[in-house]
Amino acid sequence: MKRKVLAAMLAAALAAGALSGCGNKANAAKTDDTQAQDTADAADSVITENFANVDTNGTTVTFWHSMGGVNGEAMDYLVNKFNDENTDGITVEAVYQGEYDDTINKLKSAQIGNMGADLVQIYDLGTRFMIDSGWVIPMQEMIDADGYDISQIEPNVAAYYTTEDGVMYSMPFNSSTPLLYYNKDMFEAAGITEAPKSLAEISEIGAALEEKGGAQEVLAISIYGWYFEQFMCKQGLDLADQENGRSGAAEKVVFDENGGGLNILNAWKKLYDEGYAPNVGRSGSDSATADFTSGKAAMMLGSSASLKQLLEDSGGKFEIGTAYYPAVSDSDEGGVSIGGASLWALNNEDEKQAAATWKFIKFLISPESQAYWNANTGYFPIVTGAQEEPVFKDNIAKYPQFQTALDQLHDSSPEYAGALLSVFPEARQIVETQIENMLNGSETPESAVENMADEINETIEDYNLVNG
Amino acid sequence: MNRFIEKLKQGNAYLYLIPCFLIFGVFLFYPFVKTIYLSFYKTDKLGQAKLFVGAENYIDLFTSEAFYNSLFVTLIFVVIVVAGSMLIGLIAAVLCSKAFPGIRFFSTSYALPMAIASSGAAMIFKIILNPTIGILNKLTGLDINWINDPKYALICVAVLTAWLNSGINFLYFSAGLGNIDDTIYERASVDGASGVQKFFRLTLPGLSPIMFYTLVVNIIQAFQSFGQVKILTQGGPGESTNLIVYSIYRDAFFNYKFGSAAAQSVVLFLIIMLLTLVMFRVEKKGVKY
Repeated sequence: MKRKVLAAMLAAALAAGALSGCGNKANAAKTDDTQAQDTADAADSVITENFANVDTNGTTVTFWHSMGGVNGEAMDYLVNKFNDENTDGITVEAVYQGEYDDTINKLKSAQIGNMGADLVQIYDLGTRFMIDSGWVIPMQEMIDADGYDISQIEPNVAAYYTTEDGVMYSMPFNSSTPLLYYNKDMFEAAGITEAPKSLAEISEIGAALEEKGGAQEVLAISIYGWYFEQFMCKQGLDLADQENGRSGAAEKVVFDENGGGLNILNAWKKLYDEGYAPNVGRSGSDSATADFTSGKAAMMLGSSASLKQLLEDSGGKFEIGTAYYPAVSDSDEGGVSIGGASLWALNNEDEKQAAATWKFIKFLISPESQAYWNANTGYFPIVTGAQEEPVFKDNIAKYPQFQTALDQLHDSSPEYAGALLSVFPEARQIVETQIENMLNGSETPESAVENMADEINETIEDYNLVNG
Repeated sequence: MNRFIEKLKQGNAYLYLIPCFLIFGVFLFYPFVKTIYLSFYKTDKLGQAKLFVGAENYIDLFTSEAFYNSLFVTLIFVVIVVAGSMLIGLIAAVLCSKAFPGIRFFSTSYALPMAIASSGAAMIFKIILNPTIGILNKLTGLDINWINDPKYALICVAVLTAWLNSGINFLYFSAGLGNIDDTIYERASVDGASGVQKFFRLTLPGLSPIMFYTLVVNIIQAFQSFGQVKILTQGGPGESTNLIVYSIYRDAFFNYKFGSAAAQSVVLFLIIMLLTLVMFRVEKKGVKY
């Protein structure tokens, strides 16, 4: 009998280990709504009229970011430069918090315990969440208090981060657009002079690239929800209702009703079936980049922010061309929306901290910093003044590829700014899973679109139920 | 204070348990209760309990195809991992039970996976398995998209996990082999038993207590594998490697649906507990001490 009890207890203890991981975190997430409300109300009092003249000597600003690899090095350079050169006695401690998803999730946990950062870089998908959270000092308050001239910022970029009522909540910092990268040497060998403008066109030139250009793979396209969203923008169609979630919180997706989703999947499946666009995995797997830089793939889709990394990885083995992100069919007339991240000032109830944070933000978006940032990453400069900087000019002269992202941005009208969706991270997962299922043949394009819409709608409904 | 010490001296054994139970309480029992509590709620975007829904989270789970898929995938995964890791561990231990030149090198390398973090190993496997630049395709001349093909993805993750877990099994089995009295082998030899007979009639029964312990630990460990999935496949392609622990992670820390995640945790807890109880029951019949 004693043994039996012991056995049962042992079993329970072993098994309970399985639960504790999740439970711990959940209990750390213990707080109530009033706290968020309080901070939102208090925001007014943090920034006073004296804001521009606050003495920031001896302050330390904690900055959370998500820039790894080559981009992380550029970030470190900027932070070090600020620490060395600023005359206001400010020290910035930059902390790399992992990928965008990790940063926002860490912020959620940390913010509840009030131990977060002063400044945090949050991706575009988190914009809606951050506005609603009440944790931030709206950037607009700092801009107004300091009299910063906002017209320096690229209008298309500013439009994305400004809400209907004209308040800019966060400062754009690293903005990118998706691009079509292509191997110029292969295109030349295949006798193709112009980069394709649509998926349909890619399918037409595929055979030539394989036979004459020597490509083993025509298009390396990662399974990435962002691409799906961009293809919707290129078609000029909405992803969600409420004018793409911009006039109010979206209640359902509309890519199934307006046919945009099916167009995308049909074109994608066609390229896959023809053998031109094999399954290279999700964006996190980096297989697409490896295929392209190793000279296997003739083209790849990617963010303009990958440009510097691609130039380095390919090691000059072939010439990299950049072109506008392809549309789905030749008749599409939409544009692309921006991706990337912006800077959010967290409200720590301390004007001195806020003033120091603002000075650091101003440094990061100065034309000089942005020109350096652009040249070393591929994110385009978010202030127009950066284009006058010698660093920018030299870089464009050396690598004209950097110009494409900027041109594409200027060619896209702000009405294709893309959707705002509170459940974006989850929606992307759903989209990616369904695309995988379709490529693996377990779903048809029709049923994949239907599943996507059903699952995302269910998620939105759930979200609105508890957060509405 | 004095009275407290007095009590301790009187041998009030329960007092000695206080520190242990304090730690258990904070890190095990409280989260455990909280998880059960959360599983009856829907949570808001910060993961706080917001709306009491009773058993709805559980009903949703048991009517969702994705959850059954998760269970099924986990089951296959556990079977491959446990069988694989125990087999590798056992073979390695038997090979290293005899002294021969270079034994230290071999036993170190067989035990080495124990010291490798699962995430680190997953990163390396990711490169090995890469269809374009990976060494596996290069060496074998195959053109298989290992981690992006639903046919192979689960096997890849499982084999990696089996290898990782084999190190500790090697250690257990080596210790177990050392405990078997050498004289019984000698006697068997005198009786004319072959090597195979000795292995099945003497070695395996001799190992049965440690074998049982290893089995229990391995099953629990396999159920809780996470890092490999997160890094190699993120549950994909499709849902083909969406192990239940990964599914819990994704619901809790990605989708911030702690209710659903908590419900899955409770189900996982029940499964592991049931398995463990069954195994302890079986142990009485099969294990000879």
